[in-house]
Amino acid sequence: MAVIARSSRWPWIAIGISLIVSLTMAMTSPADDVQGDLVRIMYVHVPSAWLAYTAFFVTFLGSLVYLVTRNIKADRVAAASAEIGVFFTGLALALGMIWAKPTWGVWWTWDARLTLTAIMFFVYLGYLALRRTTDDPVMRASRASVLGVLGAIQIPIVHFSVVWWRTLHQPPSIIRPDGPSIQDPMMLATLIISVIAFTVVYVALMVKRIELIHLDDERRAAEDSPDRPVAGEAVTVPELGGG
Amino acid sequence: MTAGFWHQVRAVVDRDLLRERRSGDVLWITIPFGALALLLVPLAVGTDAELLREIGVGMYWVIVMLFGVLVAVGKASKETIPQQDASSLLGLDPAAGFIGRTTSSAILLLAFEVVVGVVAVGLYNIDVLGPGWLILTMVIAAIGLALLGTLTASIVNSTSAGTALVPLLVAPLSVPLLLGATQAYDGLRYGHAIVSWVLLMVAVATVVAMIGVLTARPLQES
Repeated sequence: MAVIARSSRWPWIAIGISLIVSLTMAMTSPADDVQGDLVRIMYVHVPSAWLAYTAFFVTFLGSLVYLVTRNIKADRVAAASAEIGVFFTGLALALGMIWAKPTWGVWWTWDARLTLTAIMFFVYLGYLALRRTTDDPVMRASRASVLGVLGAIQIPIVHFSVVWWRTLHQPPSIIRPDGPSIQDPMMLATLIISVIAFTVVYVALMVKRIELIHLDDERRAAEDSPDRPVAGEAVTVPELGGG
Repeated sequence: MTAGFWHQVRAVVDRDLLRERRSGDVLWITIPFGALALLLVPLAVGTDAELLREIGVGMYWVIVMLFGVLVAVGKASKETIPQQDASSLLGLDPAAGFIGRTTSSAILLLAFEVVVGVVAVGLYNIDVLGPGWLILTMVIAAIGLALLGTLTASIVNSTSAGTALVPLLVAPLSVPLLLGATQAYDGLRYGHAIVSWVLLMVAVATVVAMIGVLTARPLQES
């Protein structure tokens, strides 16, 4: 009941509104001249990939702050962000594969961006696996923070892979020196709104997940407390009646 | 009085190499296993000599990365918690311990690379191009992998997963080293510049070394 009492509803409301707005725009925006309706996958795939980078960068920052300050809240931020990042990386990979089959003719191709994104996915799966190997919050935070900083090596490599190697994956569509490559203003607006909506979803999920991690730590601390009632404590020695 | 930093590093290296001389884990288990893996590949992909020559270098580096993890982790995980506590009480600097364990692992990894490399050249008929660059690449790869293995073994040390988790952590993180090593050889083969690939490997090794040295004490204290 404590969880329900402490939770606020605004993250759920923010998630609901954001998803409704972005999905409505994705469904009503014009079809692409070449790709047709397949282009609508882009409105979820691109924000997912963007969130994956953002989430792992936040994990890096949270880990770094923890290592410097030893503030457990920073570790909670890093952990929550890594979980959400893994989810959105998986989503970006899955949607990319669904898009690739009709477009490229294969589910998977050994493209630098695809392969390195899959590798980044495994780096952070390892990070989450590491966090599950110990219940001690301080030990867990110290170990995970080192990996959180180390794992960030992958982020620039994945991002610049489309520039360093000749790949099938298209280069950045919005953030480019010569302006966005998407010409249709409605499609560009839909993509930008989708990115903003997904970012709102990320923030809302972060708030809920950090709250949950905090409650979980409190529960563990209560379980380990010396004041915790033990089995048989209520049993008292029966009084024998005289007679 | 506590010994100097580099004296401590030397003592850790000597201890680890003595331990390897007594156990022979790398010499008698990991190196034969790596050579066997190179022998098994043609049975799976076919015995076409041209194909094997084409993929030989790549297979060699994959074997080095996957089996090299075993070498690096094996050395780093041999130290128990009571041994670590004893080292700490004796005044061993955690950073010196990290550099020492990494150095011994790098030496053993280099030995692994050389022996398995000779086997790969023999079995796959690989051309040995640019020996100077090749040796440099092998040395940097050994150091980088040793750094990653030692650091991740320190991270998982005394957790419930033990060393079982290390390959999952090291394998994806070693990708820049694998890319650098294989692309450098391709550069030599096709006459392209390879300095950028070597620099990528050096940069990754430097970053991991810095993280390892800076976090050695917090990791030990946790």
